[in-house]
Amino acid sequence: MNFSRIRKAHVHKDKVGALIFLIFSVAYGVSSQDIEIPFFAEEDAFNSRTLPIALAILGGVTALLLLILPSSSSEKEASIGQAFRGLYWKEVILLLILMVVYGLTIKVVGFIVSTTLFLALGFWVLGERRIKVILLTSVPLVLIFWYILSQLLDIYIDPGSFFHFLGGV
Amino acid sequence: MLEGILAGLATTFLPINLFLVLVGCFAGTFIGMLPGLGPISAIALMIPITYGFDPASGMILMAGVYYGAIFGGSTSSILLNAPGVAGTVATAFDGYPLAQQGKAGKALALAAYSSFAGGTIAAIFLLVAAPTLASVSLSFQSSDYFALMVLGLTAVSAFAGKGGFLKAILMTVLGLMLSTVGTDASAGIQRFTFGRVDLIDGVSFLLLAMATFALSEALMVILKRTKISKKAQQATQWNLGSLKVSRQEFKEITPTIARSSVLGFFVGVLPGAGATIASFLAYGMERNLAKDQDKAQFGKGSLKGLVAPETANNAACSGSFVPLLTLGIPGSGTTAVMLGALLSYGIQPGPRLFVEQPQVFWSVIISMYIGNIILLILNLPLIPYIAKLLMLPKQLLTPLILFFSLIGVYLVSFNPFDIQMMIFFAIAALLLRILDFPMAPMLLGFVLGGMMEENLRRALLINDGSFSFLWERPITLSILVIIVLTFLAPVVSYFKPAVPD
Repeated sequence: MNFSRIRKAHVHKDKVGALIFLIFSVAYGVSSQDIEIPFFAEEDAFNSRTLPIALAILGGVTALLLLILPSSSSEKEASIGQAFRGLYWKEVILLLILMVVYGLTIKVVGFIVSTTLFLALGFWVLGERRIKVILLTSVPLVLIFWYILSQLLDIYIDPGSFFHFLGGV
Repeated sequence: MLEGILAGLATTFLPINLFLVLVGCFAGTFIGMLPGLGPISAIALMIPITYGFDPASGMILMAGVYYGAIFGGSTSSILLNAPGVAGTVATAFDGYPLAQQGKAGKALALAAYSSFAGGTIAAIFLLVAAPTLASVSLSFQSSDYFALMVLGLTAVSAFAGKGGFLKAILMTVLGLMLSTVGTDASAGIQRFTFGRVDLIDGVSFLLLAMATFALSEALMVILKRTKISKKAQQATQWNLGSLKVSRQEFKEITPTIARSSVLGFFVGVLPGAGATIASFLAYGMERNLAKDQDKAQFGKGSLKGLVAPETANNAACSGSFVPLLTLGIPGSGTTAVMLGALLSYGIQPGPRLFVEQPQVFWSVIISMYIGNIILLILNLPLIPYIAKLLMLPKQLLTPLILFFSLIGVYLVSFNPFDIQMMIFFAIAALLLRILDFPMAPMLLGFVLGGMMEENLRRALLINDGSFSFLWERPITLSILVIIVLTFLAPVVSYFKPAVPD
């Protein structure tokens, strides 16, 4: 990942955060106009749109204040570049992808298969290379967990659509 | 009241509940010891487990986890100088030097004793304060509750410290904004659902807490690659030394314990302040009170410097239950998670809880005390082994924590969309953490958002749509005045010329 540009930036991190919140508040305020109010509630002192609009204004004004008021710490020590320096993104991004895939597969291949894969690959991403350790941790753990949930606690766990596709009931 | 206490005692001493306190203390100690994971994550991870329990048992488990997490945090503070929990940062100031001098055993034992003492004294205060406050708050109306919730939210920002005030407010507002997603409870109107069925019920509290705490804290450890394994290895080879504390030493620290527990309890009761602030205040107070020779010891392994924050943070934990149990308004991130859990059991804490379900109210208070005793019994003999737990390989632990967080939420809804939503929130939380935005105010805002809107709406309804109750009801008005004052404090300090410390 190339974060060198960010690392060199000398903008104060509070200002970056303030800008994000400002944009978010405006977007929130704009989409609050989509809330449909029944005609009889339009004149009410308080309807479903009141709080969102108040929050959008409060958020926007606070973000603006954070943006324009001088910060208490100097730009150099609290720059956005400094904040992003020395972080190890590779593992985190791989883990995030793994979680997304886990979420996508859990209904398809079922709890046992998807969880075992998720754990095993997660161990691998974080540097565990001993296959024995990986398997002996993930497989029994998933089986025990599945047993406790489905047999002891009587929680129905869908075996996955792939299982049904194969003809399982 | 006596009846309630007896019912509470009977509930607490059910074998299953005693077992749960034990499990809670142990699990909490373990999670709290892992650097990066705090009590909020520990409690959030427990919520899915407690869904099948009755509310009293659930709360009992969580109270045990809370105490355990704080104690676990002290262990890693003392042994590794890597506090697992913000409330135990001050513990490391003198605890770690003691460990370096080969007195780790004594430091850990003292931490256990002083946590116990702080918890005990605070539990007695709680016993007196909670029912009194609960009976007073029975006369509170919607408008007062609305004002109290606003107070809780502003106080959390006011305590955020210099430069953090506006950021904490922004995070509170963000939490409130997230709470408006879904169907508006009183009008039945959909808000910010973007036409998605998955969002009609809004964002679930558990999902948000898991994503912004458990998930993002675990990922943050990886992101920063906090290297503790080497230190941990070193720590387990250390000679822990004797666990004994001499009579002379006990005499020396007794006044410190007394002062720190009173201070800790009252700081804990304040909305917005909590274990962290209490521990720093107690440390500072003891250092200021110490005579010259004692004073020089602070930071180099002073026993008083270790005992003060340890006592105060435990006392503050008990104190923070006062507003939660009596008013139903959490004052900190941790109690916000507890409130979220209670609401999911269908229990609304507050003065009515005290009247209608005294056994829940009292069993929580009593089990907190039992938790203290168990921590003392459990941890003192286990100290040498607990230190070894720090050696558990992180490459195996982190995926497990991620799995437990994801599955805990998934098993409630069986909706894979929830997993993707969690990942989205976790990434957002990760970026906000890098930019130094505090997470706890967001959670507090989210929990209080719905209740705040409902109370305001009800107050307006009673008042024929006029906002005049804000200045016509004395209780509401006085709370509003306090809110203005808490707002002014950071503003004044902002414009004051900086005084070199």
